Amino acid sequence: MTPGFIIAALLIFAASIFTVRSSKLVHAVLWLGAMLASTAVLFIQLDAPFLAGIQLLLYVGGVMTLMIFGVMLTKKSGDGELRTESAPALRGLVISLALFGLLAGGIFSMTNGAPALQKPEEVASIAASVLGEHWLAFETLSVLLLAAMVGAILLARKRDAGAPESGKASPR
Amino acid sequence: MIFAASLAAAVVIVVLSATALALWYERKLAARMQTRIGPQFVGPIGLFQPVADLLKLVQKEEIVPMGADRVLFALAPPLTVIFALAAAAFVPLWPGVAVVRSDVGVLLVIGFGGLAMVPVWMAGWASFNKYALLGAMRAVAQSISYGVPLVLAAMVPVILAGTMDLDGITQFQATHHWFGLWPIIPGLPAFILFLLAMLAESNRIPFDIPEAESELVAGVTTEYTGMQFGFVYLAEYVHTVVGAAIGSVMFLGGWDGPFAPGLHWLLLKTLCLFTFIYWIRWTLVRLRADQLMTLCWKWLVPAGLGLVFLSAAWNQTGWSR
Amino acid sequence: MNLQACLLLSSGLFCVGLYGLLTRRNAIGILLSIEVMANAANLNFVAFSRYSGAGYGQVFALFVLALTVAEVAVGLALVMALFRSHRDALVELASAFRH
Repeated sequence: MTPGFIIAALLIFAASIFTVRSSKLVHAVLWLGAMLASTAVLFIQLDAPFLAGIQLLLYVGGVMTLMIFGVMLTKKSGDGELRTESAPALRGLVISLALFGLLAGGIFSMTNGAPALQKPEEVASIAASVLGEHWLAFETLSVLLLAAMVGAILLARKRDAGAPESGKASPR
Repeated sequence: MIFAASLAAAVVIVVLSATALALWYERKLAARMQTRIGPQFVGPIGLFQPVADLLKLVQKEEIVPMGADRVLFALAPPLTVIFALAAAAFVPLWPGVAVVRSDVGVLLVIGFGGLAMVPVWMAGWASFNKYALLGAMRAVAQSISYGVPLVLAAMVPVILAGTMDLDGITQFQATHHWFGLWPIIPGLPAFILFLLAMLAESNRIPFDIPEAESELVAGVTTEYTGMQFGFVYLAEYVHTVVGAAIGSVMFLGGWDGPFAPGLHWLLLKTLCLFTFIYWIRWTLVRLRADQLMTLCWKWLVPAGLGLVFLSAAWNQTGWSR
Repeated sequence: MNLQACLLLSSGLFCVGLYGLLTRRNAIGILLSIEVMANAANLNFVAFSRYSGAGYGQVFALFVLALTVAEVAVGLALVMALFRSHRDALVELASAFRH
């Protein structure tokens, strides 16, 4: 347990709690960004700098940006607070604590509790693995991304888009 | 460790003072282009004008608008500067030396560039002002769109050099050829594409629609006063300086040069790129928001894909070995 | 740092995400919680790859990242459609999500 790990872990955990609890959606999105960025720091500590870079680029730069757009486009005028009633909150707390207990029990009863560190993966070997051994998964993923893109465009389009619509270039 | 820390401190100081000089330089340059003289009273040939500007900004009252999100409003401007400075850590200064050497330097630099959008958006959102919010939305849309051609353009030197380490890329250029010059076909267009996308990412003219002063007052900075405004303003310059440095590392050979390779070559190339960027800034007009998106998605992204393909093909020929 | 600490952190993260999933009513809030859970899974992949030496962990984490991006894009499009028909993004409104 290095101090770097403890700090990163605390940051990640705290940011995740704020993500799910914060009463303003905008703050929740920003906390999510903080959590993802501190996870990138943890990835660097785990000798996965490539994944850390991708995380910064894709998650913080991409996913979070999309979320920001979602928040801004679905903003009701004059709303602000997201309330959680106490009954579902208690139910959720019990369920997630129970799951955590289960998982923690499993983790602490691992037979090989503390394996030794292995040689870190090189970027080149990741690339060889993605494009070599896992090429089929890679290609399937590209098809999936295409399908998601088409689906997202179809879903987000206005229904009456057949006619030459008025707001073609304007952000809705 | 101590070396890295002192190097980091030195880089921060150098980048900040270079930014201050850049402020003066830009004003002089702009003045010359408009047949004016520019700042000339503070210090010799107006050199201390940025210091005077800074003092003026510090003295001003800081106003938080009513209804603003106080925490985000206060947090955003310093964050813009920090994120803009963070990318400077990866620039290789002279052979084998950078503050942070990473195998995936290119990726991290671009990642930090994308991150710089977040505080800009925070500032616009927290201001509780319609112009600021419009500016913030434009900044987000622009950043997420132009991230794609930026990555594609940065892929070209990565493919040609076979590494994502910025110092490795420079080393390859020092032993072979500068990517901006040779191979001319994926190299030079990729360099131009990189410059355009970088300009758009750092919200400079002709891509400065997030703060288009003729339509949005001052965009995200509308409600900011004093040093808070200064931070946002500073971050833009830092972003441009660091972007010019990264561009010269990836496409113009960084510290490589005739006679003695070293930091001075990097500084010279950065200065040239910086001048070019400001030449554009004071010459061209601003694009409209929809033209900006058309340019990105219909022209730059396909071009970037083609360039990545071409550079892979160039590697296959084996002429660069 | 050891493997157990990483696993504990990621399971904690997953449970926090689950809590958010169960308590949020706003669709974007739910998407955020799913992101937290996906990130926990990713952390697990990376940690296991670091301690097992088999090179698949990071590859899988990459795939998970791409999947999450696709999921967010489609999810947000759904939220937009929901918001357009009901002027709100609460998930219980989606019980009659047909056209």
